[in-house]
Amino acid sequence: MKLFIKFDINTICSLYLKQNLEEQNVNFKTLGFGEIEIEDNLNVEALEALKENLAPHGFEVVENQKSVLVQKIKDAIIELVFLEDSNNYKSSVFLAEKLNHSYGYLSNVFSEVTYSSIENFIILQKIERAKQLIIINEMSLTEIAFLLNYSSVAHLSTQFKNTTGITPSAFQRIIKKRRENLK
Amino acid sequence: MKWIPNFNSSNSLRVIFVIAVFILLFLSSIAYKHNQDLNESSKLAMHTYEINIQLERLMSAIKDAETGQRGYIITRNNRFLTPYLYSRDKVNASFVTLKKLTVDNAVQQKNLENLFKLIIQRFVSFENCLKYSDPKTYDKRKLDNHMFGGRILMENIRFQVDKMNDIERKYLKKRLEIYDQEISLSPVFSISLFLTALLFILLAYRQISRDFQRLKLFNKQLLISGGLMAESEIIGKFSTWQWELDSHKITYSDNQYRLLGVTPNSFVPVIETFLDFVHPDDRAAVSESMDKIIEKKNLPFIYYKIVRPNNEIRYFKSTGKLLTDQQGSKILLGINFDITDEHLLNIELQERNRELEKSNKELASFNHVASHDLQEPLRKIQTFISRVSEADKAVMSESGRDYISKIAVSAKRMRVLIDDLLLFSRTNTTKKEFIKSNLNELLQNAESELAEVIHENKAVIKASKMPKLEVIPYQIEQLFINLIGNSLKYNKAGVPPEISIESEKVLSSDYPEFLEQSVKKFHKITFTDNGMGFDPQFKETIFILFQRLHSKTDYPGTGIGLAICKKIVENHKGHILADSTPNVGSVFTVFLPE
Amino acid sequence: MQKNALNILLADDDEDDRLFFKDAFEEIKIQTKVQFVHDGMQLMDHLLDPENKLPDILFLDLNMPKKTGKECLIEIKKSDRLKNIIIAIYSTSSSEEDIEDTFVQGANIYIKKPSDFNTLKKIINEVVTVNWHYHTSGLNRDNFLLRLK
Repeated sequence: MKLFIKFDINTICSLYLKQNLEEQNVNFKTLGFGEIEIEDNLNVEALEALKENLAPHGFEVVENQKSVLVQKIKDAIIELVFLEDSNNYKSSVFLAEKLNHSYGYLSNVFSEVTYSSIENFIILQKIERAKQLIIINEMSLTEIAFLLNYSSVAHLSTQFKNTTGITPSAFQRIIKKRRENLK
Repeated sequence: MKWIPNFNSSNSLRVIFVIAVFILLFLSSIAYKHNQDLNESSKLAMHTYEINIQLERLMSAIKDAETGQRGYIITRNNRFLTPYLYSRDKVNASFVTLKKLTVDNAVQQKNLENLFKLIIQRFVSFENCLKYSDPKTYDKRKLDNHMFGGRILMENIRFQVDKMNDIERKYLKKRLEIYDQEISLSPVFSISLFLTALLFILLAYRQISRDFQRLKLFNKQLLISGGLMAESEIIGKFSTWQWELDSHKITYSDNQYRLLGVTPNSFVPVIETFLDFVHPDDRAAVSESMDKIIEKKNLPFIYYKIVRPNNEIRYFKSTGKLLTDQQGSKILLGINFDITDEHLLNIELQERNRELEKSNKELASFNHVASHDLQEPLRKIQTFISRVSEADKAVMSESGRDYISKIAVSAKRMRVLIDDLLLFSRTNTTKKEFIKSNLNELLQNAESELAEVIHENKAVIKASKMPKLEVIPYQIEQLFINLIGNSLKYNKAGVPPEISIESEKVLSSDYPEFLEQSVKKFHKITFTDNGMGFDPQFKETIFILFQRLHSKTDYPGTGIGLAICKKIVENHKGHILADSTPNVGSVFTVFLPE
Repeated sequence: MQKNALNILLADDDEDDRLFFKDAFEEIKIQTKVQFVHDGMQLMDHLLDPENKLPDILFLDLNMPKKTGKECLIEIKKSDRLKNIIIAIYSTSSSEEDIEDTFVQGANIYIKKPSDFNTLKKIINEVVTVNWHYHTSGLNRDNFLLRLK
């Protein structure tokens, strides 16, 4: 039997992080996705130890302020893209309101840290979402274009191709063949 | 079997003959009966006469006795007594005869008995007369009495005899009357019957002679068509044989012998003789299919070799069918074709095909390898040129810089050429995996591929709904890219390109000159643009590899793009057409089978 | 952006290509550590040696002596230890068949070797960036397919 499972990466990560921190007897408070406040005052060694312990599980402590902000931007973008009624928001307005900074500032910080633009990252995320929808929900391109707020199928198709270098149908074909190979 | 006449007259002939025979039999039985009747009646007459004679004899014997007695009584001479003495014997003899003659007639027997009684009384009366006339015992009164009684008795006897004669005569008369009646009826009847029989026989004769004429005619036709058949067997290099399964009789047509390499009728065929000719490799298979034919009633073509007596090997193709004729007997009809010439030709053709395929493959792989391997050094050249930095160029002489840029341009052109060549060779070499694809989706992909150029030229592409077809998706995408790319490239200066793509279903029978007729329906996809167009006289040559209508300085290109289109469409068993009106636009029409 | 330099491994038998590659990585802003192997055998030996740190991205030429890139790809995807390495095919071939085939076999990125040094730099930059996004944004690696020309 084969099951396709849709999962919410945010929930899983938060849960997993919580478990890990509890195992290390750290008193903490979750402030938001990817942001925690440690209640005890940790010294440098203890902080390093915590970082080392979290690293094998794929968690990384983001260090400087700009990186923190970038992480927050990314989280906000993911939230925006995965939001069912994301159609109602304009991304720049959404980000500015959510993070309480001007969009220009956010854009600059993001480019400085990641060497790529917020727009590109949004596109990457949207295409990533489109991939999920193609594979898991087996939705048609028309439905996906509507859901992800594209003006037309052609627009989605072109952006998909520009972002990944392959067409949505080729992507679907490749994933299908990979699954067949696994059997 | 149309030419075999239908002789249904034979049935009516049979009926006519049976009727005639019955009439004749009837006639002869009537004749026999007449004969019998005649015989009977003459016998009857004889019988009556005989009775008559015997009765007369009886009578005369009594009379003789009376006369003799009278003479004796008068003369007393014993000589007169002799007839009297004999008369008794005569009477007895006649009586016995009469008794025999009337044995079948009860009335006459009765009468005869009465007569006999009377005769005995008469003789008693004689004796008494003699007794009383004797002088010794003479008694006149008694003598008179007896004499008189004798007279009365005589009369009674006479009466009785007449009565018997009468009966016989009446009986005879009645019988003769009946016969006469019968005989008087029959002649007319039998003559008419005879005439009828004659008529029937004449009719039958006429029918027979007519059938005979027809038979002769058909026989002649049969002979002609038989001859034609034999002739066509020779010309067509085939032969027939029949195997009557019930009688195990096998008949070969003359050409069968010839195909086997022997003179016609040079041997009497039996089942095994044919197998003797079959090549040992194929013998088991042929024997098996001969058995199968009886089981399955007909046989698909079998192919095998035979060996002629001169050891020449011929290739045969055979088929057969089990037939049942009108009489219900089973006949196996076989047809053999000598296909040696075709077979050898076929082998040669196959050989050539293989060679062609091989050289094609070699050419394709050469093309692929050449263009693929050429890419490597070219890429290096281009990359190294790109590594010559602005700083490097600044220290170079002007001509050096010029040469560098000329190398770059040439290398770029070579790159385009190699890429196109590679693309062309790939349309042949890649595995042709047909996948059901939505052509609109493929067009979408093509448009995203060309998005930059479309945007640059402000081109408008309008497409109607296209079908889902079993195609090689990459190739159809490439086809769309090339056709749209072509329209974008040869646009009219200052006019934004407009390309409209329309699709409709058509019947192959509407385009018999170039569409595969075994596929009924095709999709006709037209690409219409408003570009500069081309002279329609080039509408065929435009698809030929390296054929260019423009100088490469005006329009960079390799002359491969449309050749690739043609190749792709051919890979899909379709067809591509081009037409144009210069300065108005071009139309490319692609036919893809459903 | 990252504390440690990105580990890059290129498997290519062509010396010039290795040179272009090395120069391109040196010129981009991202901090990387680039290593080279010359053929498929050497690649597998390198990967299977537990002493060596596994690369973050493996650039794999398809046309290599001793063991082709495709064979290496299949072998890597079969190994539990190696199968999570991001693999970028780095090849001259632009045949759709080759591309789809390697994707199906588990490659994440397909790069047609460019004929321009700046393009190469651009491509490498993009690969590293997208990879980093995948790495840091919790994206599903199974869906990581990227084709660059």
